[in-house]
Amino acid sequence: MFSKTAKPAIHSAAWRISLWATLAFACGTMLVFVFLHRFVADDIQRRSDAWLSGEVEVLGDVAERTPKNSLYDRVVGEVAELAGKEVPNKLLSESNSNDSVFFLQTSGDGSLQLWVGAGNGAPNLKAIQAIKIVSDHPTDLHVQGFGVPFRVASIRLDDGSYIYLGLSERDELRVLRSLRLRFFLLWLLLVLFGFGIVFFTTWRMLSHVREIAEAASRIGHSDLTARVPTTKRNDEVSHLALTLNRMLDRIESSMHQLHTITDSLAHDLRSPLTAIRGKLEMSLSAAMQVEQAESIVSAIEELDRLTDFLNKSLDVAEAKADALRLNLAPLNLDELLRIMIELYEPSMSEKGLQIRLHSRGSFIIEADSALIHRMIANLLDNELKHVPESCVVNLQLQVENDAALLILEDDGPGFDPEISPHLFERRVKGRDSNGHGLGLAFIDAVARAHGGTARASNRKEGGAQIVVTLPLASV
Amino acid sequence: MRLLLVEDEPDIQSFLKSSLSEAGYQVEAAADGKSASQLAVDGQFDILIVDLGLPDQDGISLILKLRQLGVSAPVLILSARRSVDDRVRGLEQGGDDYLTKPFALAELLARLRNLLKRNSPPGSEATRLRVLDLELDLLRREATRAGQLLQLTPQEFVLLEYLCRNAGRVVTRSMILDQVWGMRIQPDTNVVDVHIYRLRGKVDGLGQQPLIRTLRGVGYVLKDR
Repeated sequence: MFSKTAKPAIHSAAWRISLWATLAFACGTMLVFVFLHRFVADDIQRRSDAWLSGEVEVLGDVAERTPKNSLYDRVVGEVAELAGKEVPNKLLSESNSNDSVFFLQTSGDGSLQLWVGAGNGAPNLKAIQAIKIVSDHPTDLHVQGFGVPFRVASIRLDDGSYIYLGLSERDELRVLRSLRLRFFLLWLLLVLFGFGIVFFTTWRMLSHVREIAEAASRIGHSDLTARVPTTKRNDEVSHLALTLNRMLDRIESSMHQLHTITDSLAHDLRSPLTAIRGKLEMSLSAAMQVEQAESIVSAIEELDRLTDFLNKSLDVAEAKADALRLNLAPLNLDELLRIMIELYEPSMSEKGLQIRLHSRGSFIIEADSALIHRMIANLLDNELKHVPESCVVNLQLQVENDAALLILEDDGPGFDPEISPHLFERRVKGRDSNGHGLGLAFIDAVARAHGGTARASNRKEGGAQIVVTLPLASV
Repeated sequence: MRLLLVEDEPDIQSFLKSSLSEAGYQVEAAADGKSASQLAVDGQFDILIVDLGLPDQDGISLILKLRQLGVSAPVLILSARRSVDDRVRGLEQGGDDYLTKPFALAELLARLRNLLKRNSPPGSEATRLRVLDLELDLLRREATRAGQLLQLTPQEFVLLEYLCRNAGRVVTRSMILDQVWGMRIQPDTNVVDVHIYRLRGKVDGLGQQPLIRTLRGVGYVLKDR
C-alpha cells in the first residue's frame, strides 16, 4: 500500500497534519495539567496551613498553661516534637533527625527562648526577624542554609513572647515534583501514541488519494480507458474516486464522439477527393495538349493542398481538444533533425538561406514519429517561406529539466507584431503570408499532444524564435 | 497478375479498376466484405487491395479472416482514416502495406509492385543497376554516366538508386520522401524538387540526353528508352 515511488513521509501532508494535530493535543493537555497542578498545589498548601495554624494554637495553649519553671523547656519541647511527627504529606525521611519541622519561641525582647529542630535555630530566628510575620496567617520563610522555604505560623503569648512553628515545604514540593514527573511521562506517551494514530490514519487516507492521483496522471492524452482505483468504503475519498471516474466516463464518451465526427468527416471528404484525383490523373495520362494538361496539373496540385489543409485542420481541432491519437515509439531527435536538415538544406541554400544545427547529442523522446516529422517539416517550411534571403536559420537541440528543447531562430524580420499575441491560434497569419494559417497552430498542437509546449516570440536582436519542448522518454 | 479490389465507393472502384487494368492487372472487384471473402477464396489472386471502411465489416477483420482462410497474397490497405491505427501498423509489419486516401495513382502502382516483389522468391540481388548509359555500382556506391564517374553525395546516390529501380515509371514526391528519407510528410515547399534539380545537374550533363523528366503535378520519371 505504501507506494514505492512515494516521496519521503516528511513531505507528505499526513506528516504535517499529524504534527499540527499532535501539537494542538500536546498544548491542550499541557494547559489542563497546569490548571490541575495549581489546584493540587493550592490544596496541599491549604491543608498544611490548616495544620500549622491548628498546631501553633495548641502549642501556644500548652506554653501558656505550662508553668515557667525548669521543666517548661522539656514539656513544651516534647509537645512540639510530637507535633512534628504528625506532619501532613510526610515522606519517610532517610535521617532520624526531623529537619522538616521547627519550633521556636522568642522571649519578649526578641531573643531565642526555646528551639526544637535541626541546628541551633539562629538562622531561623534571623530570617523571622527579617520579615514581619502576622499571627495566625502562615507565611513563606527562606532560611539561610536550607534549599526549600519553610511555611511558618506564629502566635503571640500573653507574656509578650512569640511561638513560631515552621514546616518545611520540602515534602509538599516532592509530592508535586513526582506528580509532574508522572504526568510528563504519561503526557509524552499519550502525545507519541496520538501522533502515531493520527499519522497512520491520515497516511492511509492520503495514500488512497495518492493512488488516485497517480492513476489519474497515468491516464494520459491518448489513453482514456483507464480508471482510478475505488474503495468499497463510503467516505469522501471513495466519493472523489467515483466522481473522477464518472468525469472520465464523460470525457471518454465526448472524446469518442469527437473522433467519430472527425473520422467520418475525413472519410466523407477523402473518398470524393480520391475519386476526383484519380479521374484527373487518368485524364492526364491520356494524350492531350499542353494547355489542357496544365489546368489539370494545377487542379491536382490544388487538390493536394486541400488534402493537406484538411489533415492539418482536423489534427489541430483534435489537439485543441486534447484528443490527438498518438502511436508512441522511441524517437531519436538528433538523428531526425540531421535527416531533416539534409532534406531542407538544398532548398534553403537555393534561396540564399543558411541553416545550422547545434545539437547536444542524441536525445530519445517517446513520440508519434509521423506527427513529429510533420511538425519539424512545418517549422522548416515556415522558415523557407517567410525568411528573406541571406538570413541564417539556427536550429538548437538541448536538454532542460527532463525535456528536449528544440530552438529555431532566424535573423529575418520576425513575426508581425500585430499578430504576435495570437501566433498559435488557428487561421492567424501575417498579412503577406499566403498560407492557410495553420502552421504554428499545428506545431503547438503536436507539442501539446506530446505533453510539451511551443513558444514563439521575436528576438531582441531581431528575427523570430520558436521554442518547442518535448518531454524525454523516461529511461 | 490477378488482383482483387475491395472498395465500396463506386467512383473510386471504377477509376481504380480501369487504371489498374491499364497497368496490366486482371482486376476483379468486390464492394463488401462478404463477396470479397468468397471471391478471394475461389479465385487465385496474386495481390489484394482492401479499403478499411467497408459497409458490412471492418477491413482489418476481413484481412484477418482471409488469412485464416488461407489467402496468403499480399494486401495493400487503403485508409480514409487520418491516423494510421496500430492494427494497420501490425499488418504492415506482417508484409502488407497501406496508403491513405487520397493518393497518387503512381504511388499506388509503385506500392503494388513493391509488394509483389517482396513476395516473389528472392532472386540473386543485383549489385549493379543499368539504365541506358547510366550505371550504378551498389557495392562501391558509385554511379557513372557514359563511362564518366558522377560526383554524388551519399544521399544523392540513394535518390538516384531509387529512380533507377523505378526506371520508366512515375515516382511521386511523397514516394521519394517515404522511400529515400523515410518519412511520410507533405511539405508545401519545393524541398524534393531542389534535390532532383541538383541530381539532374550532375546526371544530365551538357550535350547529353536528359534522363530525369519532371511530370508536373505527378512526379518524376527516369527515362529508360
